[in-house]
Amino acid sequence: MTTLAEIPGHPAPSSPAPDRADADALARARRLEARLGDPYDPGNPHGFAALFDADARSTPPEATEALLTEAGLGAEFVPVALGGLLTRADLLARALRPVFRRDLGLGMGHGLISLFAAGAVWAAGDEPQRSATARLLLDGGRIAILHHELAHANAILRHEFTARPAPGGRLISGRKDVILNASRADLHVVYARTDEAPGPRSHSVLLLDPAGQDPAHLRHLPRVESSGMRGALFSGLEFAELPVPGDALVGHPGDGAGIALRAFQVNRSLICGLVTAAAGTVLHSAARAATEGRASGVARRWHKPLTGVFADLLACDAMSTTVLRALSLLPASAHLFAAAVKYVVPELLRENLEELATVLGARGYDHASPAYGALGKLSRDLPVAGLGHAGSASCQSVLVPQLRGLAERSWFAEPEPPAELFTPGAALPHLDYRLLGIAGGGDFMAASLVATAERLAPLREAGGHTGALAGLAEAFATELRGLRAQCRRIPAGPGALADPAVVRLSDRYSRIVGAAAVLAVWAGQDGADPFLADPAWAVLALTRAGQRLGIPVPALPDGVQDQVLAELIRRHGQGLGYDLDALPYEGRP
Amino acid sequence: MTTIPAPGAGRISAGRISAPLHVAGPGAPWHLVREAMDRHGNAVVHTTWGEWLGAAVTRPALRQLLGGDWQRYRRTQDPTLRYRFLASRLVTKYTAAAALGTGPAELDLAYRIGGRPYLRSLDQIDVSLTHTEDMIAVGISRNGRIGVDVEPATRPMSYDLLQGHVLTPAERGALEHLPEGERAARLLRLWTLKEAYTKALGQGLRLDFTEFGFAEGGGELLAPDGRPAADGEWSFDTHRVLGGRYMLSVACHDTGLSGSADTTVRTMLDTGFAGAVTELL
Repeated sequence: MTTLAEIPGHPAPSSPAPDRADADALARARRLEARLGDPYDPGNPHGFAALFDADARSTPPEATEALLTEAGLGAEFVPVALGGLLTRADLLARALRPVFRRDLGLGMGHGLISLFAAGAVWAAGDEPQRSATARLLLDGGRIAILHHELAHANAILRHEFTARPAPGGRLISGRKDVILNASRADLHVVYARTDEAPGPRSHSVLLLDPAGQDPAHLRHLPRVESSGMRGALFSGLEFAELPVPGDALVGHPGDGAGIALRAFQVNRSLICGLVTAAAGTVLHSAARAATEGRASGVARRWHKPLTGVFADLLACDAMSTTVLRALSLLPASAHLFAAAVKYVVPELLRENLEELATVLGARGYDHASPAYGALGKLSRDLPVAGLGHAGSASCQSVLVPQLRGLAERSWFAEPEPPAELFTPGAALPHLDYRLLGIAGGGDFMAASLVATAERLAPLREAGGHTGALAGLAEAFATELRGLRAQCRRIPAGPGALADPAVVRLSDRYSRIVGAAAVLAVWAGQDGADPFLADPAWAVLALTRAGQRLGIPVPALPDGVQDQVLAELIRRHGQGLGYDLDALPYEGRP
Repeated sequence: MTTIPAPGAGRISAGRISAPLHVAGPGAPWHLVREAMDRHGNAVVHTTWGEWLGAAVTRPALRQLLGGDWQRYRRTQDPTLRYRFLASRLVTKYTAAAALGTGPAELDLAYRIGGRPYLRSLDQIDVSLTHTEDMIAVGISRNGRIGVDVEPATRPMSYDLLQGHVLTPAERGALEHLPEGERAARLLRLWTLKEAYTKALGQGLRLDFTEFGFAEGGGELLAPDGRPAADGEWSFDTHRVLGGRYMLSVACHDTGLSGSADTTVRTMLDTGFAGAVTELL
């Protein structure tokens, strides 16, 4: 076995010293995991039996919400500089993983949505706004986000509020029916239209304290039942010329789209890492179904779906972890990969759930069962958390305008990113939303792909798994070359952006840079985890990625599937997660 | 408590599947597809490949129209398989193009692991394609997954041979005492429903047909022991088409997001976001 670190020319991280923040986040995750307890224990009030039951009754799991509040989860969303625990987005994802691998709806409804809302303040708020928002979250308060209406909006993104100037501030009016935690939030972050003209300066962000407002101006609308994340509390709000003071404005008038683009890239990256963790629980169910009561091992017909999904989950985690780290290390240019990852991951996981449905068979309809209920629940929750087509389209809105410039100036021209991006445990700067760019800044993942493919090229003739991986790397680099030729032909001007022939390039682009993350994460392994350092998982993940892309990929080399299956069975037996970290579930095996 | 409202309506019209439309060729009245999409969020079309053949093989720039499928078309030697393949891809692209407000050549039909087709970069609609003998059927949906299956109505279905592979215990209980003719018809219907559901999941025959079943009316998904397997997010429908010669079943999933009724490509990029990005480039 060769790891890329052994190949001459592989850049060594300049500061390999482990970051204390890493260890702290892992310790917090372990503590939270322990407090949440064995999820499969039917008597555990925070286990799957209780969580699935609450979901079936369309109520938030109150005992577990109380535990999370009591555990001080809100501090995870507050930057350390403001008294909280938030250092980096990748570490936040780690800290939250115990919640999300139990219940995606709980993770969103109790917590993460508050960070999605607070992101506007971390990105553009003034000091009083930042400290007040920090205080609110540290005290266990909740924040709701009142999105503006995006193109092809679904129920969650539909309708928006308008704000017009008035003496001493602004008056907000409008109605929106589907807002998470609208009924119980202590603060509303409103993306309100402040300019009738369409375009990037049409919206502004306003902070609104719902407490004590005159019901003539602020009306709570009834709860809205959703078919996914059923326990989450969605409801509507109607404002009728509700006055907000001048200092409620975050940033400047017209900053709304820019603030959203900054905050959303963090949100997009986090949600991808966390839904991947949630999907791991379903893979665990499927592995159980395939091994239960079978002395002779997993039936042959289940090898492909189980190993394929496992490789895909590792790929999703490679993409998510990379972009989450990039938010700290390369804040000016992470926006591009954040949009690509969010475009790829939720749909990939949806496909994975469908593949696992074949393994689970009738057990998958056992909705109340702690062992098998996760498939049904996540199948419902995932589209809501990922926002479906409107979520993809908002990512494509970021990607498509940049493709031509990237093809002309970035691809095959830029140096690769620092190795710390892909080195587990390498120290990184703290996440600062104010530094996040929203366009330009090049394409570090395309650069990484090209550099890795070049370094691997001499190994192509070596055969075996490493040779196969080298061949796949070259295939994706070739695909990028083909895409470059097509993107260079995109006509200048905004008119071209709506052309279906241009829009359709964004899917290919996203899958290519997604594959780059798999290669780079494999290459960044130091050997501490022999399975991740071996090329087998990456070969399987990239073979599948190539098939989806429609590029010619060779048949899987012998042994790849067996190696991935052996690791899957090991992790299942030891009760470990199915992502890069492989952290144990409490109470397992 | 209310449910997520559809635009301008009280609740989503989940559970409604548009009646299949006959599309006689590339010029077929595509506004009917758009109307079905407007009304129910899905559309199902059917045709025979012969109807499309003339227009298909004489169409200029066929290679561009077939895109990634061109090589497979060229490789297919058997003329019947080859022309059916061609016609089925064209029907899929024309049907999708009607909903997306674009031309069929603008679309890139790609395939997921397991073979399910999808429209690259355009996830506002899901597609499903099926063919048997002369018949081609295509389903599109903007609410979630869709699966279609068509079988000749006279396809022989041996209850004795198939029941163990196709039916759940509850279904066997419902069918075994029926007269033979009726039993075969019910079996065929269940077969097409099961094909449609597993195709909607992108899995085809990889999901055992005995692992799930349908209530007697055919509209509700059940676990093998007869308990409900879904919570109203799935709907199913079966039609006899082409003068009753074929049985066409459709499975539609609704993610409950109440997605945009507008599925056109030209409006899908958010002008605020794209504008903010463009401004800085």
